[in-house]
Amino acid sequence: MSQNILCTPSPVNDKEALDALLKDRRGKQYYDEMTRLEVDTAALRKLLNDTCRSRIRTWLEICVRCGMCADACAFYLSNEKDPKQVPSYKIQSTLGEIVRRKGNVDNALMRYAMDVAWGKCTCCNRCGLYCPFGIDMGVMMSYLRGLLFSQGFVPWEMKIGSGMHRIYRAQMDVTDEDWIETCEWMEEEWEDDWPGLKIPVDKENADIMYTVNAREPKHYPEDIAEAAVLFNIAGENWTVPGKGWEETSLTMFAGDWEGAKLQVQSVYDALDRLKPKRMVVTECGHAYRATVLEGPYWTGQKSGKTPVETLHYVEWVAEALRTGKLKIDPAKKIKEPVTLHDSCNYVRNGGLSQCGREIMSYIAEDFREMTPNGDHNFCCGGGGGLNGIGKYRKERNDGQKVKRDQILATGAKLVVTPCHNCWDAIRDLEETYKIGIRQSFLKPLLLDMVVVPEHLKPEKE
Amino acid sequence: MFNKILFATTGTPSCDAAARVAFDMAKRYSAELIIINVFGVPSRSFSQTVTDIRTGDEVDLHDDQLEKVKNELEKTYDQQIKSYTSCETIITVGIPHTEILRLARKKECDLIVMGARTSAEENENSVNRHVVGRTLQGVARSARCPVLAIGRAAASFWGGISNIVFGTDFSKASDEAFKFAFNLTKTFNGSLHLFHAIDISADPFEITKDQDGIEDQIREAREKIRSRYLSKMEGYSDYEIDVWEGIPYVEIVKYARESFADLIVMAHHTKKMDPEKAVLGSTVEQVVLRSNAPVISVNHPARQKKL
Repeated sequence: MSQNILCTPSPVNDKEALDALLKDRRGKQYYDEMTRLEVDTAALRKLLNDTCRSRIRTWLEICVRCGMCADACAFYLSNEKDPKQVPSYKIQSTLGEIVRRKGNVDNALMRYAMDVAWGKCTCCNRCGLYCPFGIDMGVMMSYLRGLLFSQGFVPWEMKIGSGMHRIYRAQMDVTDEDWIETCEWMEEEWEDDWPGLKIPVDKENADIMYTVNAREPKHYPEDIAEAAVLFNIAGENWTVPGKGWEETSLTMFAGDWEGAKLQVQSVYDALDRLKPKRMVVTECGHAYRATVLEGPYWTGQKSGKTPVETLHYVEWVAEALRTGKLKIDPAKKIKEPVTLHDSCNYVRNGGLSQCGREIMSYIAEDFREMTPNGDHNFCCGGGGGLNGIGKYRKERNDGQKVKRDQILATGAKLVVTPCHNCWDAIRDLEETYKIGIRQSFLKPLLLDMVVVPEHLKPEKE
Repeated sequence: MFNKILFATTGTPSCDAAARVAFDMAKRYSAELIIINVFGVPSRSFSQTVTDIRTGDEVDLHDDQLEKVKNELEKTYDQQIKSYTSCETIITVGIPHTEILRLARKKECDLIVMGARTSAEENENSVNRHVVGRTLQGVARSARCPVLAIGRAAASFWGGISNIVFGTDFSKASDEAFKFAFNLTKTFNGSLHLFHAIDISADPFEITKDQDGIEDQIREAREKIRSRYLSKMEGYSDYEIDVWEGIPYVEIVKYARESFADLIVMAHHTKKMDPEKAVLGSTVEQVVLRSNAPVISVNHPARQKKL
């Protein structure tokens, strides 16, 4: 048995274990221990038998290595067409090997698989779009991540992220008390400009239950206030849950299937408790994928859908503009050239590409599409958890060259990024490549140009 | 007068002047002093790395690092901390103005003291030297307690207060600033200088042609000061009213200099949506950078301690 303390197959379920991991600077000891982590081949074989169904086995077998997926991959294109970056190679040399050897693999292969699964793929699923057989490498990578997580071969930050969700039901150490406190604080801070602004917590039977990304209460609380103002202007009857408010899922990125289910269940429990008509998810891509697209299956929803109808924030904004709940002051539309980055998780994987276009038609005078765009858009380069993993920073930065060139070609300096991960990635891209761009969520842009009804304006002085 | 003072610092020389005032005031009023240093801004998504505000380096967030920053900071203010025991140092990471406001609210502070620009900005070009730190902007706009900003070393001597300049733009927030300025004047038994500047920079060709028009405006403004503020001064007689025309921040700085102001009180209430204007900074921000007197910005009635 290995003597590992930090790097073990057990998930992090308590604060003590989490703190021990956090203390380990950049995961130095963690990764060192990983070199000695034994593969429990019997357990891996059992897991494969239980979970690796015909779809994945068929995909692995029918792949003819034609290479049509190569040019679809941002990493392949950004890394001078390195054959080792061809999606088919990446999945065959990892998951393919594990399946073919029935789990009888060694430490070196597992660590190689980890490097590929998190450092060379963001699970953007773009390659699946170009495979003549419809083989979805992104789905297989996610499955591979699950196998690796079960054996403890997972990047340090992902292990921490999964632990955060298990302990706090949030991707960061934000407690329910912190969350409610932040809502109260934002009400207080914004009430001068928006008299009577309320962020109603735990209101039953509202039309909308709004859920967020823990990074908002942690670092960007104004995002919550902006959402509140826009709901207010639109006249929505809305609420936030005091518990089950976090939509994101680093557990999904980590391959922590059990943790992912726990997280999404906390949101569904809130729906059950508050009985809203609909749920709206903040400007976050993977949160939508986890809670709306995958969550229903993790939690065994018979309908395959969320317990109540759920909208991504872009869907709500598009609807509000279409129905006139939000009106844009034509004089305040964005005048400079502006482009839109499509988040893979709700555009390619969620089918919402038209929402962004519809919104831009209301708010921008000079909207410039990236090429390609919509379902075919390239990943920001930081998806799948890659943004936060120090070990693969170089891979992330190199992989962003495609996105950089896409943005440059539009000539726009403003990139609208209705997704937390993409927002972070584009900011980092600017830091690395210094191409003179800036990124923005939709909310602050909308607040600058929306028509405010008289009764919501502060008293005239 | 002040029970809890929050001193927000980067720990760099650009905050030395503000530090002098913060410690002086805490001692003078036997206030509890809380020192906050937000040393890193979140970067790299959900990861455990932050960008060090002073160096721009990527650093890891762990207990040792927090302890190291804390030690450094306490060393910086070693003499002052030794001479004053009632202080607490808090090291944290996040968006600086967010964390300062969060802590001020949590600890129910009744004054925030801070410098006017960060060292990072000082290192950049000369234009940036005159753009007040974004942190001060963020804090001054939203804080529920007065914010004392120190822009120049010359403004860092909080001694006897006898001349207080209250600059008004007749806004609602200015009414709150007035209450604070008047209470302070009474406490110190000082002299209150009520001042307004007619802004002629906005439309120079229309207005400057017509001196009569300017003088009409001056008369109106003087009348407004009388009705809006004098009526609330309970017969307090040591005051002066002045209205000048020009570019407001220039006039206030000049006026403060001529009236030997020990303190300037103003409202900083603009929630500017237009980034162009925000970059130039508001009148208050310009006054902070240029004035030889400390500037207190007051926007809100809440948490304004009764003096």
